[in-house]
Amino acid sequence: MKFIIQIVVTIIISFALQSFLPWWTLAIGAFGAAYFIDNKALASFAAGFLGAALLWIGMAYYLDHATQSIITEKVNKLLPLNAFVLTGLIGGIVGGLSALTGTFLRQK
Amino acid sequence: MKIIKVGLTLALTISLVYFLNTSHNFGSPIPPLGKFLSPFQGFWQNAQTANQNSETLSIPCLKDKVTIVYDSVLIPHIYANNDEDLFVAQGFITAKNRLWQMEFQTHAAAGRVSEIIGKAALDFDRTQRRLGMGFAAEVSVKSMESNPTAKLMVDSYTAGINAYIQSLDESSLPIEYKLLGYEPEPWTNLKSAYLLKYMAKTLNTGERDLEMTNALKLFGKETIELLFPDNEGVADPIVDKTNQWNFKPMTLDSVELSVPAQLVHVKPFEKSPPDVGSNNWAVSGTKTATGSPILCNDPHLELNLPSIWYIVHLSAPGINSMGASLPGAPSIISGFNDSIAWGVTNAQRDLVDWFRIEFKDNSKKEYKLDGNWVAAKKRVEEIKVKGEPVYYDTVTYTHQGPVVYDSSFHGAYEKSHFAYRWIAHDPSEEVMTFYKLNRSKNHADYMEALNHYSSPAQNFVFACVNGDIAMRIQGKYPIRRKNEGKFILDGTKSSSDWQAFIPNDQNVMDKNPVRGFVSSANQFPADASYPYYVQASNWEAYRNRRINQVLTELTKCTPQDLMNLQLDNFNLKASESLPTFLLNLDSASLSGEALEAYKILKAWDYKNEIDSEGASYYEAWIRAFVPMVWDEFEDQKVALPWPSTYLTIKLMKEQPELTFFDIKSTPEKETAKEVIRKSFEEAVTVIEKWKSDQSQKILKENPLITTYNVIPRWASYKDAIVNHLLRQKAFSYNIEHGGNSSIVNAHSKTHGPSWRMVVSLEKNVINAWGVYPGGQSGNPGSPYYNNLLNLWTQGKYVKFTFTAESEKMKGKELATITLNPASK
Repeated sequence: MKFIIQIVVTIIISFALQSFLPWWTLAIGAFGAAYFIDNKALASFAAGFLGAALLWIGMAYYLDHATQSIITEKVNKLLPLNAFVLTGLIGGIVGGLSALTGTFLRQK
Repeated sequence: MKIIKVGLTLALTISLVYFLNTSHNFGSPIPPLGKFLSPFQGFWQNAQTANQNSETLSIPCLKDKVTIVYDSVLIPHIYANNDEDLFVAQGFITAKNRLWQMEFQTHAAAGRVSEIIGKAALDFDRTQRRLGMGFAAEVSVKSMESNPTAKLMVDSYTAGINAYIQSLDESSLPIEYKLLGYEPEPWTNLKSAYLLKYMAKTLNTGERDLEMTNALKLFGKETIELLFPDNEGVADPIVDKTNQWNFKPMTLDSVELSVPAQLVHVKPFEKSPPDVGSNNWAVSGTKTATGSPILCNDPHLELNLPSIWYIVHLSAPGINSMGASLPGAPSIISGFNDSIAWGVTNAQRDLVDWFRIEFKDNSKKEYKLDGNWVAAKKRVEEIKVKGEPVYYDTVTYTHQGPVVYDSSFHGAYEKSHFAYRWIAHDPSEEVMTFYKLNRSKNHADYMEALNHYSSPAQNFVFACVNGDIAMRIQGKYPIRRKNEGKFILDGTKSSSDWQAFIPNDQNVMDKNPVRGFVSSANQFPADASYPYYVQASNWEAYRNRRINQVLTELTKCTPQDLMNLQLDNFNLKASESLPTFLLNLDSASLSGEALEAYKILKAWDYKNEIDSEGASYYEAWIRAFVPMVWDEFEDQKVALPWPSTYLTIKLMKEQPELTFFDIKSTPEKETAKEVIRKSFEEAVTVIEKWKSDQSQKILKENPLITTYNVIPRWASYKDAIVNHLLRQKAFSYNIEHGGNSSIVNAHSKTHGPSWRMVVSLEKNVINAWGVYPGGQSGNPGSPYYNNLLNLWTQGKYVKFTFTAESEKMKGKELATITLNPASK
């Protein structure tokens, strides 16, 4: 349950922060959620990864769908991986590592 | 333990974020990935739909309210209450749609591309600097700012662009900034000057004085006169007023050439290809269905995305004009207003010279002039290079201009020094020409507007609702002595400098000629009785005659007829050479692929339509033939000019035994006939190779297909592309379109009609159409990025909505942007 909560909180805080601040505040959101929710290290990393990845993929999907993929299909030609996959991976790794940092700081 | 764990993960996280927030280069450039991929501010945010939001914005420096109405293809119709506001709004709306392009093109003009993409662009940047682009732009901005009207215009335009730049945030940045990881800097008047010099460079650098000097040394005077005549006798000059040039020309003493003792060993910078050119014409009411004149223009440039042109409608007290503008420069360049229409083609004339300089010593601090040592100037160019230390390049200037080549730049084996004299280095105020043209009411206004115009020299076509049509070849032309400007000149004598310029009223011009039309297509400007010596590296030989032939035959013509002429794919060059080519083949001995090719060529109607196979075979043939004839030029270790294709074909017909037809690498003595046969064999091989490459490509992509028969359709063989300015494939388009260079529809692989305009100037109404291969938005994520490209490719036009009252745009608008002065 705490695992799911950490994911949801990561999404909410990171969404709020990134709506006004630079992209890397994603890390602050995932860090904060992990610090306060206190999962085990591995679970925290996974929750941070999933929270960040889901937020980025979800938001990207929303924009992509509203514009009939007009930019996605072009950018796909210049990226080594599908844009959604790469977006999820990059967002996820940043989220996961930040969450891990938060959890380690909390641990005695 | 905890501290170590926290410290490690924290350090790792911070390094990762830092890594993802910066651009890198591991062989190929990588954008700042975190920034770029974030859906909150990265590329995802650049995606748009066809809907545009109406909005009201506050803009500093506006005096009054401005209304901008976007029509259905995103053309902004700007309604302002005064000149300043009009140009602020033009700057603002152009930047809103084209900011990245505007900045990139001016960076390119200024030799600042290395700053963005790294050292791969260093040679390009040094070329720009060494040609004196910075020097020219600085001189130009000074003269712009010394004219109160011009200053008001560029100041307001700059303020508008900067108002837009200030409104940007991370997410609304154009995608190219995100991709390359940089940000726009404030716009300046200097950048507008750079843009105009960029056009001048594109249109003036066909010169080949150094190459011609080598040719003169290698082949001698007689051969040069045969292969590079001042006038190839194509006929049909732009203006034919034989013996009616009623003025007394200025004359100068003759000039001496300064052919160096050694061949010139510099590696010349990349010149503009001959596909750069244009068509324009105006037909008088005596030849049109409505009885009113029709004016047409299509400038041929490299076709890129975002397009070089941006359509805009400017309306304010004293002005109501519409047409193509250059993003980065105020006003409209090729367009129309309530009373007149105008358009431009390049005048080709030689406006670039090279002077051989004698320096006192290697320091190049002093050079010889009329027996004295004169101080040279040094200009240090600071070139920032992404990921590398700053590159400093010192360029020596004489009074003629910059010494472009030296041991550090394209001249490792060259002992001599040459100063570069270019008309675009002189002060000028072109923006005033366009300011006045946009407001002209009649022929007299047009003439006055053109008096401000120096460079790059253009053929200005004109038509007026009162029925007048006109042509004027306007530029600042040095008065040339015979042969001056073809070869290197003696820089040690001030007498070889440009002494004087042709007075404006003695330039080539014509008004309401008897034939009922005026036209220009980069050909020779005037009949032989024009009293000034005229010279250029390349006069157009085919488009102009085809245009004049069609215009002569037309009666009661409609705008559609003239659109058809802009889209005309008749290959006059082929019609003048292919019959001779075919006659020289031994058709009875042909078999297999060669016989097939022969049959296709024999049946071809000389039209380069999308599906013409004959066009592909002919193109392959002429491309094989010309270098085979001029193999003597290819063998040499130094840079040489090439005779024109027109002259090559003429010699093939008239002097087939000329020694140049002998192929030097073979023991036999060839004539034109053997070269024709050999080049035919080569062409067939080339096409067969192309066919098998294509078929392999298709089979590879579609594993289910086992055989694929490739047809050499012209559009497939031409394989045209409209490239994004960064050559970024993902933002570029392959297109299928007819035409070719030397054809009226001058669309080659990468160049072509960059803007097509047709204006019917009827008494009560102006009917105008236009299109360009691109779209009004520069954003690859917008449906308006390439919507006009699709129309252009199909040969369609947009009928313009043109009204001086913003209320009449109701029902035709996509969105309205209201700009209000920001309260202070």
